[in-house]
Formats: sequence, C-alpha cells, structure tokens
Amino acid sequence: MAKMTNLYDVSKCTACRGCQVACKDWNQLPAVIEPFKGNYQTHEDTNGDTFTIVKFIEGEDPVDGVYWNFIKYQCMHCSDPACMSVCPQGAYSKTSWGATYHDPEKCIGCQYCTYACPFEIPKYRAREDKITKCTLCVDRVEEGLTPACARTCPTGALKFGERDELLQIAEERAKFLRANGFPRATIYGKVELGGLNKLYVLTDTPDKFDLPLDPKVPGQITFWQNWVQPYFGWLIPIALGGSAISFVTTRILANKNGDHTEGGHE
Amino acid sequence: MQWIPEYKGDVPRVERFNFLSRFTHWGHTVTFLLCLFTGLALFLDSADWLAAIFGGFHGAGLVHRIAAVAMTIVVVIFVIGNFKVVIAWIKDILRFGKNDIIFIMLFPLEFLGFKVKVPPQTKFNGGEKGNSMITPTAVIFLILSGYIMWVPSIFPAGLVRLAYPIHDISMVLATMMVCMHGYLGSFHPGSGESFWGMWKGTVREDWAEHHHKTWYDETYGDKASGE
Repeated sequence: MAKMTNLYDVSKCTACRGCQVACKDWNQLPAVIEPFKGNYQTHEDTNGDTFTIVKFIEGEDPVDGVYWNFIKYQCMHCSDPACMSVCPQGAYSKTSWGATYHDPEKCIGCQYCTYACPFEIPKYRAREDKITKCTLCVDRVEEGLTPACARTCPTGALKFGERDELLQIAEERAKFLRANGFPRATIYGKVELGGLNKLYVLTDTPDKFDLPLDPKVPGQITFWQNWVQPYFGWLIPIALGGSAISFVTTRILANKNGDHTEGGHE
Repeated sequence: MQWIPEYKGDVPRVERFNFLSRFTHWGHTVTFLLCLFTGLALFLDSADWLAAIFGGFHGAGLVHRIAAVAMTIVVVIFVIGNFKVVIAWIKDILRFGKNDIIFIMLFPLEFLGFKVKVPPQTKFNGGEKGNSMITPTAVIFLILSGYIMWVPSIFPAGLVRLAYPIHDISMVLATMMVCMHGYLGSFHPGSGESFWGMWKGTVREDWAEHHHKTWYDETYGDKASGE
C-alpha cells in the first residue's frame, strides 16, 4: 500500500490550534492545563494526554531581525522507528501505509521509547503507567477517513494523502515560497532519518522551527540496542556452562585419583 | 556423590564471617536473584513465561522495584553496620599481588579439578578478590542506573539514555560473577569449607590454614596481634 501521510505547510498555518482540539476530541484526551509561560504556546511539549501541539517560537536572527514562527508538532512516524526497536514488548508496529502505531495493551510503561526517540515524542501517562503518542489516526484512516487534525484544518495547511503526491506538492510549494520572499524555504521529512512519514514545508531552516537539522537516534541507544543487548548477555550462559563442565570434570578427576577427601589445591 | 563437604562441628573452627556479613550476604542473594529474574523478563525481550511467574510484566516490574529497594537497604546496612569489615575487605582487595596473580593463572586448572600448588592467600584469594572488585562495582552501578530509570523525568535525558546500557552491562557482569561465585562457593570440590564459612560463619581451622595461609597466620596463628 502506498505511504499515506500528512503534509503540513507552515506558510498556510494561522496557528489556530484547531488540530490540537480536534486531536483531543477524537482521541478523547482530557485537557491538560499548564501555567502561562509568557507566550501563546499552550503546552511546553507533547504529553501523555496531548498528542499534538502548535509550538510558538520567538527568536532573533542577526540578519533578518526578530521572527515569530509556529509549527504543528507531533510524532514523525519514522520509517525505521527507534521506539519500535527498543520496545521490549513489541508494543510498536508499522502499518502498511506508514503509521507508527503504539498498542497501549502491550505497553508496560518502561519509557525506553521516550528516550530512544530522536524527537522524544512518546510520553508517559502516569495514571495508566503507559506510553501514549500520536497514532496518525490509524482508527480513522483504516476506515477511509482523514486524520482528525487534517480534517479540521481550516486553511489547508494540513493535507492528508499519498506521500509521493504530497512530496510533489511540497516541492512545488517550497519552490514557490523560495521565489516569493522566503529564500530559505525548505522541506522537512523527505530525507531526515531515511524519510519521515510526515512532511513539512517550512518557510525557514528547520532550526528556526525547533526541529533538529539532522535528527539522529542517540548514540547510547544504538550502542545499547546493537551491541549490549544482542551479544553481551552471552557471558551468562558461558559462566553457567563453565560451571557445569567443572562440576563434571572435578568429579571425574577426583574419582580417577581415588581422592575422596574434601579436595583442593595442595 | 558428595555435593558439598559435610559440616564438622567437633573439630577446631575459626570465624570467617560475622553475623551481619552473613545476614547481608544472604539478604543480597535473595534480593539480587529476585531482581535478576524479574529483570531478565525484559532483557530477554518478552520472556512471557518468566514474567508469568510474577503475575505478568506489571507484577514483575513491581517485584523488581520492591526487591531493588530491599537490595539497596541491605547494601546500606552492610556498609554502615559493618563498616570495619568493609574497610578490612577493601584493604584485603588492595593487597592484590604476586600470589594473587599466580592463583588466577593456575585457577583454570583448579577449576577443572586438577591438583595445583597455590601460594599462600590472604583472606580472599586472587579469584575472590576479582569477584570482590567486579560484583560490588556492578551492583553500585545497577542501583544508581536503576533509580535513574525508575524516575527518568527528574534526570537529564542523556543520563537516562546512558543508564540503559550501564544497567544491562552491570547486570551481565554481576550475573556472570554470581553464577561462578554460587558454584565455586558450594559445589566446587576445591572450595571445601567456603560454604560453611558463609552459612555458619566458621570454617575448619586446618582448612583456613590450608587455603588462606596468610589470613590464618595474621588472624589466628603466630602473627596474630593482640589476641
């Protein structure tokens, strides 16, 4: 099946946060009230009951001066998700059309995924001792609907469809933006981490939108997953096996020598 | 076939481990093994059968945490309540020298049951010194990384990520040593009285002199000071 995803065009977004509300509504997520932090952003980060947020990023560029950006932020549905590889319970799976789905039934709340994720997206829901995150509305899409966020978007900043088609639209849009006042306009998600199942058209470089320029699975996690987990544990059966061999040989040698004392070195 | 040597109460015996040492040793044994088997359920990637013993993964997680706290308490009791013994232990480990190296080089032969001539050993022989270095270090790392993984949100993300491989490496090293230690301290014929030393606290005097000559001489023999 063709990869299905959301294209988010930041140049069309008015930061109305309709997507945030629609997401809460469809996924039946209770409100999380966070204290006012001096800007328009409702939540510091995604959390156990908030799968998507609109980030408000204020900054100062030495050349262009002050800028004020907003961006919809949620799970990037990586093609080779780190969360899936570290999960000891196999709670994560990839759907045939590219969504990274987390099954709360299998989750045991170990939070390995939170720290393996290059975007730290999976969040811990303490009251259930489980991890939660954006599902790309698996339940809606598999019934032929569009994700709640994309359906509600009033400006067309969010568009759901086949990734290949959306990528073409994104390329054209980025080209248009570059020629019309946004010389640094770019696409995010096309090549990052081998291609994310989430596409962004940005009016500036990704770092101006709080996105990592070159997202990577943390080195500690790859070392742990690729070296420690598969190979290191073999020391235990080796120790057990050695003891078993010794148990037999010591007794064989003792019998051969006709030695029935408590043994030991002389 | 004899599994472990018979306990002989009617021969001269000398103390090897005091009560608190033995109490915390076996307390540590129980809590460590509980942590090990509940933890392996995750390390082995979905060992459902192992988790089932503890009532599923949530049960195993709960047992793991309770046993971990108990283990921490046992370690703290040992270090604080038995401070002098701990210092003496560390001093003995630091005496690692020529005789210990010879012991370790000959050890594979003795391990398999060949008779070897070993130079006099202090309270802990070369192999025991190795175990005394590796296992407590691994356990300290296990405890520290474990609490970090328990409440990751209050620690920097980089530290939490580091805690995962550290917890696994320490677990494997400690478990490897525990396998060897458990076998050598019980069923290995060459170890003789060691088991009774940790179970009853005393060992046969002749065994002590034979296996740990330096320690015996300094503590109970001619070189014993002020006793």
